[in-house]
Amino acid sequence: MFFMSAEFQTVVSALNEGFIKTVELFFLTLIGALPLGLVISFGSMSRFAPLRWLTRTVVWIIRGTPLVLQILILYYVPPLMKLFTWGGGETGRFTAVTTAFIINYAFYFSEIYRGGIQGVPAGQQEAGQVLGMTGPQIFFRITLLQMIKRIVPPMSNEIITLVKDTSLARVIALQEVIWMGESFMKGNRGYAGLIWPLFFTAVYYLAFSGVVTILLNRLEKKLSFFR
Amino acid sequence: MAVLEVKNIEKHFGSTRVLENISFDLQEGQALAIIGSSGSGKTTLLRCLNFLEKPDRGQIIVRGSKLFDAADPATQRESEIRKKRLHFGLVFQSFHLFPQYTALKNVTLARELLAQEQEGFKSRKKQILAEIEAEGRELLSRMGLAERAGHYPHQLSGGQQQRVAIARALALHPDILCFDEPTSALDPELTGEVLKVIRSLAEQKTTMIIVTHEMAFARDVADQVIFMDGGVIVEQGDAEKVIGNPQQERTRQFLSRYSER
Amino acid sequence: MKKILSLTMAAILAFSLAACGNSGSSAPAADVSESSESAAAASDETASVEETDAAESEENESAAAGAEAAESDLAAIQEKGSLVVGITNFEPMDYQDENGEWIGFDADLARQFAEYLGVSVEFSEITWDYKVMELEAGNIDCVWNGMTLTDEVTSAMETSVPYCTNYQVLVYPAASSADFDGLTSLEGLNVAVESGSAGEDAAEALGASTVPVQSQANTLMEVSAGTSDVAVIDVLMAAAMTGEGTSYAELSYSVNLNEAQGLESEQYGVGFRKGSDLADAFNAFWAEKAADGTVEEIAVTYGLQDAVILE
Repeated sequence: MFFMSAEFQTVVSALNEGFIKTVELFFLTLIGALPLGLVISFGSMSRFAPLRWLTRTVVWIIRGTPLVLQILILYYVPPLMKLFTWGGGETGRFTAVTTAFIINYAFYFSEIYRGGIQGVPAGQQEAGQVLGMTGPQIFFRITLLQMIKRIVPPMSNEIITLVKDTSLARVIALQEVIWMGESFMKGNRGYAGLIWPLFFTAVYYLAFSGVVTILLNRLEKKLSFFR
Repeated sequence: MAVLEVKNIEKHFGSTRVLENISFDLQEGQALAIIGSSGSGKTTLLRCLNFLEKPDRGQIIVRGSKLFDAADPATQRESEIRKKRLHFGLVFQSFHLFPQYTALKNVTLARELLAQEQEGFKSRKKQILAEIEAEGRELLSRMGLAERAGHYPHQLSGGQQQRVAIARALALHPDILCFDEPTSALDPELTGEVLKVIRSLAEQKTTMIIVTHEMAFARDVADQVIFMDGGVIVEQGDAEKVIGNPQQERTRQFLSRYSER
Repeated sequence: MKKILSLTMAAILAFSLAACGNSGSSAPAADVSESSESAAAASDETASVEETDAAESEENESAAAGAEAAESDLAAIQEKGSLVVGITNFEPMDYQDENGEWIGFDADLARQFAEYLGVSVEFSEITWDYKVMELEAGNIDCVWNGMTLTDEVTSAMETSVPYCTNYQVLVYPAASSADFDGLTSLEGLNVAVESGSAGEDAAEALGASTVPVQSQANTLMEVSAGTSDVAVIDVLMAAAMTGEGTSYAELSYSVNLNEAQGLESEQYGVGFRKGSDLADAFNAFWAEKAADGTVEEIAVTYGLQDAVILE
């Protein structure tokens, strides 16, 4: 039975190691980018025109260039310009990649937030005002949940994309699950020339995106009590 | 003494003048109907009274205290406007209920938030919230919606939603309750139930300003009527007189166009 | 090389735009590059003409960094206490054993070199295409991974004495070996090569249409899957990974492509930052270990006794 073989066990334990990196990158990106995106969306809706203009320009730059390029720039350019270095080891690479992902996704999220906030009817804000609510009360008690409901479907798309985008991290040799899969072609832990581990990583992505999809659907259902 | 005195209100949107020299008084327990064609400035006037728009000139005085004076910046501080708004309640044309809250929570939410600012709220929290809830249920049952307290807005008909919105405005005990065309967004068969509620509020001597297109209703329920056209008050006086026997040609034309429909 | 270069340039352009230009720093960099250009020209007469512009501006970058490295590289490494060795997974030079430890001819000697310098060793897997950037960025201290000393490598890095010979071979399905025996032209063939490798240069020189992939191992998968006709890789790797008893038993290799081009065999060297004094330290280390038999002993362990250069 192949699933019991030493080869399978060794490969899977290596893929698991890579997959942990993938999952860490995924969650750290969400933890960083979800709040940062909200801050950026406030910038792009600011009544102060220079700030709004600046934010939207950066949104254009970040959304208009490939994430792969952003990772390379962020990792290599600061040390090449003698500004600072991330460090060459796993930690440095992981920090740089996570930073690049957080920045990239925060700007994508900011546009989704903007659509969500602007999509809540102005009457909701006015209704809160005439009932004597403060600005923060109106945002947290009235607008926020309606905004969340609006952004869950586009956000879900983006988050599923993030699951798969984590594989871009291997461009600067972060050893995530695909990197690990490929390593068995070159030779790893006593096995070389194995092709199947690379394709087997698909199982990890399917399982991961499956779980994420179920969770997001559950959230969407939870928010369906109102319209 | 008048509950509300409005003096020389003027409002521009850019170069367009929408209100000019609006002055009127409202006595305690009276209902004032404001009629006029679309674009005559009726809604803008209500929004000025509720501080959703800032008049360029004029004064708003409630029970003798000057809430707003365009010439006096001290009366326009953001921090105080919030409290000043509480003198007025506003029922919107399209309800604007909070969709994520039940009918009851729509009615009690603002009260609960205000109660949190009271001294000693923490020590008497349970009791205060229970009182607010009891009053919310009482208001809903006055609106004939006792059975609907746990329903969300999307589960209610338009007429029911508007009645919840009226209860929501009443919950804060405003000095003056304003209605902005409260039945215009409703199907004709649903207007009756909302008008009935407003009529009973009038019978209980609630001080009200009602912007409306329902002429028969205005004549029947209101004590006073103001006819506006082009941002100015053309005619004002007793409801019976203004609608039954208008003195101004423009009023007469407006009313005859209305009765033809 | 051009790819790395244009990338670096684009990145630097983007960054200097973002930083609103700090023109003050450009003057000293230009000074250094002038001297290093002439130095490079003197030491590297065989550099081909087409890559002048590109290579020169690359020089500017690395020379600017190298000027600083030259003063302090060895001292800096001893101060931080570790030698970071940039590698890829490349049997038999650098690869992992069952416990995930890096072993191989290069890995074992890198350990000894670190010991010789009095520091610890740290292996960092890199993306081969970005090896120069990794060095210049300071992420790694040397590239020690069966690196062929091409013109591109010697112009962008400070390189050691050659320590191993190598040549490029053609890998093909064993069943059709008759078709490829004694071949001197690759025209009309789809040839899988590692992007940025010496094999890519050789295949292009022989008129092949190349399929650049991420690693030498991937080229074998291409041939095995039939998506490419043949692959061009290092003979050392072909020997270790194809034929009877290996994962690619159905593949075999022959044809010394260096001979087919009428070129010398290639040589492996270790790369350091441009201008680094580590290269001299390495050469001294190598002379010592070659003399006392350590190198030969390790070479035998990995079957490289014929390839290693002991003189």
